[in-house]
Amino acid sequence: MADQDGDHESSSSHDRSHTCFRDWINLQKSDLDQLVKLLNPESGVEEEEGASSSSSSNKHFELCAKTVSHFEDYMRNRAELAREDISIYFAPSWCTTLENSLLWIAGCRPSMFIRLVYALCGSEMERNLSQFLLQGTSNGLLGDLSAGQLSSVNMLQLKTVREEEKLTSRLATLQEDIADQPLAVIARGATQVGETSEEADKALDDHERSMANILEEADKIRLKTLKELLGILTPKQGVDFLVASKKLHLSLHEWGKKRDRLHGRHRDARKPPPQSDEES
Amino acid sequence: MAEICCEVVSDSEPAVSYEPSSRAARRRRMEIRKFRFVAGDELDNSENQKRPKLDGQIKDGETCRSNSALFSRNCRNAALSTIADGLLDQNDAVEMDRGVESEAMESELTVCSETPRFGYASVCGRRRDMEDAVDNKPSFSRESSEPESDLHYFGVFDGHGCSHVAMRCRERMHAVLKAEIESRPDPTSPIDWRALMERSFARMDKEVIELNKTLLRSDCRCELRTPECDAVGSTAVVAVVSRDKIIVANCGDSRAVLCRGGKAVALSSDHKPDRPDELHRIESAGGRVIYWDGPRVLGVLAMSRAIGDNYLKPYVICEPEITITDRAPEDECLILASDGLWDVVSNGTACGVAKMCLSGKGLPESPWAEGGEGDDKACADTSMLLTKLALARHSTDNVSVVVVDLRRS
Repeated sequence: MADQDGDHESSSSHDRSHTCFRDWINLQKSDLDQLVKLLNPESGVEEEEGASSSSSSNKHFELCAKTVSHFEDYMRNRAELAREDISIYFAPSWCTTLENSLLWIAGCRPSMFIRLVYALCGSEMERNLSQFLLQGTSNGLLGDLSAGQLSSVNMLQLKTVREEEKLTSRLATLQEDIADQPLAVIARGATQVGETSEEADKALDDHERSMANILEEADKIRLKTLKELLGILTPKQGVDFLVASKKLHLSLHEWGKKRDRLHGRHRDARKPPPQSDEES
Repeated sequence: MAEICCEVVSDSEPAVSYEPSSRAARRRRMEIRKFRFVAGDELDNSENQKRPKLDGQIKDGETCRSNSALFSRNCRNAALSTIADGLLDQNDAVEMDRGVESEAMESELTVCSETPRFGYASVCGRRRDMEDAVDNKPSFSRESSEPESDLHYFGVFDGHGCSHVAMRCRERMHAVLKAEIESRPDPTSPIDWRALMERSFARMDKEVIELNKTLLRSDCRCELRTPECDAVGSTAVVAVVSRDKIIVANCGDSRAVLCRGGKAVALSSDHKPDRPDELHRIESAGGRVIYWDGPRVLGVLAMSRAIGDNYLKPYVICEPEITITDRAPEDECLILASDGLWDVVSNGTACGVAKMCLSGKGLPESPWAEGGEGDDKACADTSMLLTKLALARHSTDNVSVVVVDLRRS
């Protein structure tokens, strides 16, 4: 990477990373469409009852599994790309400033999944408490979270927060390492600020490798938490959850764009990707 | 406090929602039970039965005694032998068994029809740390040698600073109480609940302070803030339910609420630093209440009583306030909960939800998962529903709710 093609190569890896993200956003959009369709069948089509409810449950289950496998694919792809160029993932140029301000090790905090469950499980109930108490929601969505499920979600939360803290602490150590040997000493001893040296490059490469490892572990926790959560929820609740999480993610992306424009940050000012990810 | 409670109590007097006939029948049953149980004790008339005794709360200030003198006879063995002796006097072999082998008996007794059904939910919620703890021990002790004198214990502890004080209360409070109950010099005499609860809380507090000292050298999270390890404490709201009474001891801002005839009756009053009598107590002890994100003792702690918090003594005390309430036929349930619930759900709403949920309305056929062992599904569902309501109303704290079904079958 230290050869003269370095610039060109790294920009192309940047483009590939951007493309990977853009594809992921687009895939999420199409997944969302399918999930929403399954959750709100076309008007006129009654919710299947009785015998067919198991097949509908299967459909929910399959779609959840497919969505999760898409998430897995994305993680695998980006882990590979991150091996070439990790730093960009910690503040991606293809994400909005808003999104970047919310990143935890290059993605969402896994504990956010649980917060989302809590938000969804309560939102229906408050709308009409007395009616809820008389009839229940009985629509099989997250508002119907049972006592057992609630306690499982709670256990998952405790575990997830613990794992998150552990990794946060490791990231802190890695970041502190920068102010230590060898980089701090190399910088201090340099006659010119920013002077490159083989030693410095090697230290930075090592650091980036460690950062890439942390990213992979963070992704592992994200995926594991999502899978365990979907294991606790019924397939229909799982679809409900996935719809809400995709909508939140995609909305944040759009809201972020609007805010960036508002503050005079034009995403085009940065190196544009081969194709724009704007739709419509 | 007294005013508030009395007002609520008089509100609850006309138990609207009960059919007169079944209500009368229930009361008759109740009275039979009561006479059998209280035989030899002073007898309340049926009017009195409906009215919770909320006396003593205000006067408790003066009755505070030196705790040290009361610690003298807490030896567990002494307790067991004393109760065994007392029971032997009455030639009750089974009871003796229980005195000696209390743990083994417990599970068996849980099946007894008089054991109230209960359930609980306790979640971390929107906090990243879990500092609440819940402990339920049906039939944890008995009041006398009478066959149906089982005492049932329920407790909610909401820790602050770190979770270890709340956890220790969960592990130990019931045992401390049990030891106090069973070390009475005369096990046939009625229990002086006020003195007993005060002794128990003082003892629990002492244990916790010892624990804090040892933790200074351990790997507890709060050890990172070593000078502040003393700044760890917990609320404690403890209810003991007997066949005819509900005894609630409270320290801090968790709360016990009785649902009686569809109305809410607070059985404890939160210890907030700006409660006039508490403010007065703190200031006469030389402390100050400073408004810093709400009223706080010395600008630090947002409650005026707690277990632990050694560094805030004598302003923050561990002395509980106690209410003793006679059970009534129209009692529906008892709710104990941490402020994660009460911050966003009023006593009345909580009772409304609990009443509906327990009466079987409102819970449709849905794949409810099983609760914990020994728990009652309806109670677990009720506590879960209240927890969900708290989360729905954006409670930002840990939420813990215990629901005890007081209806007699």
